[in-house]
Amino acid sequence: MRSRIEKIYMGIILVFMYAPIATLIVLSFNGSKSRARWGGFTFKWYINLFGDDKILNALANTLIIALISTVVATIIGTLTCVGLMGLKRRSRAFIMGITNIPMINADIVTGISLMLLFKVLRFGTGFVTVLLAHVTFNIPYVLLAVMPRMKTINPNVYEAALDLGAEPFYAFRKSVLPDLMPAVLSGALMAFTMSLDDFIITYFTKGSGFDTLSTKIYNEVKRGIQPEIYALSSIIFVVVIVLLVTSSMIKGRQGTGAKKKVSLYKVEKKITSGQAFAIGAVTVFIIMLGLYFGGVFARKSNQLFVYNAGEYIDPKVIDMFEAETGIDVIYDEFETLEIMYAKMVQDDSAYDVICPSDYMIAKMIDNGMLRELDLDAIPNRKYIGEQYLESAKSFDPENKYSVPYCWGTVGILYNKNMVEEPVTSWDILWNKKYAGQILMQDSIRDAFMVAEKRRGYSLNTTDPDELSKAADDLIAQRPLVQAYVIDQARDKMIGGEAALAVIYSGEVIYTQRENPDLAYSVPDEGSNVWIDGWVVTKHARNPEAAMKWIDFLCRPEIALMNFDFITYSSPNTAARELIEDEAIRNSEVAFPSEEVLERCDTYSYLGEDGDALYNDMWKKVKSGG
Amino acid sequence: MFNSRKTSRLLASPYIAWAMIFIIVPLGMILFYGLTDESGAFTFANIAAIAEPVHLRSLILALILSVISTVICFFLAYPLGMILARNKLSSQGIITTLFILPMWMNFLLRTLAWMTLLENKGVINGVLDFIGLPEINVINTPGAIVLGMVYNFLPFMILPIYNSLSSIDDNVINAARDLGADAVQTFFKVTLPLTVPGIISGITMVFIPALTTFAISTMLGGSKILLIGNIIEQEFTLSYDWNLGAGLSIVLMVFIVINMVVSALSDKKGEDR
Amino acid sequence: MSKELIRLENISKSFDGELILDDLNLTIHENEFVTLLGPSGCGKTTTLRIIGGFETPDKGRVIFDGQDITALAPNKRQLNTVFQKYALFTHMDIAENIAFGLKIKNKPQEYIEDKIHYALKLVNLEGYEHRMPESLSGGQQQRVAIARAIVNEPKVLLLDEPLGALDLKLRQDMQYELIRLKNELGITFIYVTHDQEEALTMSDHIVVMNQGYIQQEGSPEDIYNEPENAFVADFIGDSNIIHATMVRDELVNILDTDFICVDKDFGENKPVDVVIRPEDVELVPRGQGTLPGTVSHVIFKGVHYEMEVQAGGFEWLVHSTRMFDAGTEVDIKVDPFNIQVMNRPESEDEEAMVIDV
Repeated sequence: MRSRIEKIYMGIILVFMYAPIATLIVLSFNGSKSRARWGGFTFKWYINLFGDDKILNALANTLIIALISTVVATIIGTLTCVGLMGLKRRSRAFIMGITNIPMINADIVTGISLMLLFKVLRFGTGFVTVLLAHVTFNIPYVLLAVMPRMKTINPNVYEAALDLGAEPFYAFRKSVLPDLMPAVLSGALMAFTMSLDDFIITYFTKGSGFDTLSTKIYNEVKRGIQPEIYALSSIIFVVVIVLLVTSSMIKGRQGTGAKKKVSLYKVEKKITSGQAFAIGAVTVFIIMLGLYFGGVFARKSNQLFVYNAGEYIDPKVIDMFEAETGIDVIYDEFETLEIMYAKMVQDDSAYDVICPSDYMIAKMIDNGMLRELDLDAIPNRKYIGEQYLESAKSFDPENKYSVPYCWGTVGILYNKNMVEEPVTSWDILWNKKYAGQILMQDSIRDAFMVAEKRRGYSLNTTDPDELSKAADDLIAQRPLVQAYVIDQARDKMIGGEAALAVIYSGEVIYTQRENPDLAYSVPDEGSNVWIDGWVVTKHARNPEAAMKWIDFLCRPEIALMNFDFITYSSPNTAARELIEDEAIRNSEVAFPSEEVLERCDTYSYLGEDGDALYNDMWKKVKSGG
Repeated sequence: MFNSRKTSRLLASPYIAWAMIFIIVPLGMILFYGLTDESGAFTFANIAAIAEPVHLRSLILALILSVISTVICFFLAYPLGMILARNKLSSQGIITTLFILPMWMNFLLRTLAWMTLLENKGVINGVLDFIGLPEINVINTPGAIVLGMVYNFLPFMILPIYNSLSSIDDNVINAARDLGADAVQTFFKVTLPLTVPGIISGITMVFIPALTTFAISTMLGGSKILLIGNIIEQEFTLSYDWNLGAGLSIVLMVFIVINMVVSALSDKKGEDR
Repeated sequence: MSKELIRLENISKSFDGELILDDLNLTIHENEFVTLLGPSGCGKTTTLRIIGGFETPDKGRVIFDGQDITALAPNKRQLNTVFQKYALFTHMDIAENIAFGLKIKNKPQEYIEDKIHYALKLVNLEGYEHRMPESLSGGQQQRVAIARAIVNEPKVLLLDEPLGALDLKLRQDMQYELIRLKNELGITFIYVTHDQEEALTMSDHIVVMNQGYIQQEGSPEDIYNEPENAFVADFIGDSNIIHATMVRDELVNILDTDFICVDKDFGENKPVDVVIRPEDVELVPRGQGTLPGTVSHVIFKGVHYEMEVQAGGFEWLVHSTRMFDAGTEVDIKVDPFNIQVMNRPESEDEEAMVIDV
């Protein structure tokens, strides 16, 4: 009876723990890229996974960092626990207090504080800094796991062993360690797990061109997950299960060899040689894997560091560029422009070529972070439509620093089955009828743009009165909003989670493909027209390659490949002519009419004070006034 | 090793050195940033900023949600720890690992999966619909954030509690029964007090990350619910106001002190050896 | 003999399909010091735990003072246990440990304090009230464990190898301490040990167990002098156990030599085992005894010499105050009263069951 209740209880908790994992495994076989729609059963993500060097490389990095940091942290942590037992209570409490610091601090603080440290020490960020950071936050987990056990250990045991003539280390290994081992192992397991799971600290200490699985995933959570990641996670999960079962089988076989002794009230916890072998084998395998993919230690000479938004290029284009020029492209993705900017402030030579949006380009020009382009090296710039270069002057007055890459409008994506009236005004986002059905952009400028345009203000206003009115409107709107999202809007709209969403025009073609009930409108009050352009950083280490990169992307057939892949409007007029599907070539969404563009403006950089004003107002909006 | 202070120092020294370089010094930098303004002049403004309604509200909300999550975790984990510890004879290693295994799938992915499960048109509502029960509206509410916290941090509660429970000698429990205590008295007078170190560990390991999280609140709260972690994150990544971000972090560090005091007090009893 | 207190009736118990106790019957009387003696795994601790209520038998009944307590929870039983490795509450000081049972029973504070004082005095630990258990030595912790049990005034005190973790000198001291305690308290002690010397020293009544069966019960003298089978003989003290043939009543053939003995009713020419204690083997000069042999080793043991004698193809162990040098040719002589004749079992299992059946 009692054991049945226990089983049911364990079962419920296990279901709770594994429901999301089952979901992920199901998603890994989903034919549709959107997690909100079932597109039939497929193996293609698994097949693609093994061709994806980036993911495999990130996996190898993750495992190697996790393994080394776990071993180092476990050794240091266990020694510390033993040492602490002999110290005065006060020093012990003090050290345990210090130990709590990395755990209690927001990860972002730990990450940034370490980043500052490495910067002061002039330590080049990369593999080593990530490793140091991981050891730092792993030791506390080992300490917290081992310490309670340590306190239960009778020092006489160790003294007894010493008394029997054992060397101190031998005595420790034979007398104390076996008792401590379960706790040490659980500490190590915890450390390994934390290392696998960490994102933020890694992000701030990793430098450019180095990714672990979680930094890669975080990029994608905001941009939309590549289903290959689901496939990889499922594989990892299955591998771990298999390892577990195997090790317990080895253990079981060894157990039956010797005659079972009756030891009813105590179970000895020791690692059998079978388990030790399994652990060793896995270690070797992981290291081999790392060396094979070589991303950890290899640094080649002719490299180009590219920093782009997520899913903002056809990966084949990168391969083609590498094949043609022999330049090795290190391609990183940022999730928001703000994070990209923070990164560049930290290390201004981290990337050679970047693709930010209009106002951010202005800001970077303003702060002297960009280099003038060598237009002679970019002959293909001639394929960019004159009107786009003209628009770009709003943020790059002489077109000296940037070449437009994509552009589009911001508008309302709505579900025709859920919205009856025509969508012609931003007002609809304040309509109580759609309470809980509205998705707003989780981005300061886009959110304020909606409120400003609705009231007929400029979307670049810095007038405090206008701004606070806009903020009040947004606060009033907040109860109606289901969520503030970035790219999640896509999946949620496809899945019918919401009726209305503020979205970039580039997402429309893809979402309509997945859910034909969706329609897009740029409200009559006007909106934002945005341009993303490629820029080269002031302290770029390889500016020549950066120019080649930009030139390559301006080729009409390359621009077309990118358009087909990312479905964002291209300013490359030659490429547009090459689009075969007439409906798309003439799509009002992909290439809005002059009439629409006339009521749209670009964002300009508002200066530090303007930014601060917006930030303050935004915080108020998000926390409800 | 236990008695010689010199050996003890030697053993603890690598970590002490490590902690100085990688914990204390960086912390000093945060303090520096938190106590200066952009021009580098000394100020308390960044710390006083916690009193602004926006910040205070997010701090209080974060405290409430993380306390609730910690309490739920405790009440889920303790019985589970007891079940696991009691079944020592079975393959407990595997069973224990089963509760940690989910953490090997990236927590962002797992949280994303919860979105898929909890959404209004998500899996759970689909199932509820199918069996004719009313749908639930959890996503983008504080409830969803609590669920995400409990889900992500539960293993941190299970492990230390299980560890301290399994290190109790069966005969200590038997002794209590033998001396006339019934099951309930035995639990409250013996089992529970003996596992206090594990409970403290567990609470620390759940409460703190829950208090400072921003990813969970962003994903399951629809970015509508700002916790103190979100505010700090925004100061660093969005507003570049590192001074303010650092100042607010210093406020969070008050909780380190509280935690240290609690641990030190609970450590006192076992210390009289 | 005093009044019956505990009766185990047909107790069987198995763990994971392995039979630990098989149809065990045992009666324990009031005010007795009973020792369950046997090698590890013999079922003695399980028996104790069944009495204590920490295990429930698969079959059979436990009768305490005329009442069936088989299903009664441990906290409802009028007995207390002193556990192996003490099992003190490490989060409480000594006084709190001792007061535990009394507080559970809601005794008045004054009564509890008196009891703590009395119990600590009884176990010679006055002044230790506010020490923590882990700051005490093993012997002191053991005495606290005893104090903690006896303040509850149990009718029976169960002791599970309580001296196992102590060193030899301390163990001997504690043995006398326990006898003194038992006499002062006037209650029943049920004591589990694998140490035959401990059992012989302290017990009024010894129960020798092996493989889940009771091999022999009786006073220490009975057990020592008249072991009923080879296992008991071998387990209790040193002995010479030799295959022999019972020629007829009162005559046994050992190593092709006839010895006169006092045993009867084994039948004629039956294979048997004989047990002869080393101190019962007399060595006499050649020609004066029954069986000729040669001394091969001599060790001085203080009160006596321990000698090995090769005789009739068997290595005899002999304890004697009279010393013969190694190499001396001697004769062996045994008093008929000192030859213990036992049935010889055909197999190990039968060996275990032989007495019980």
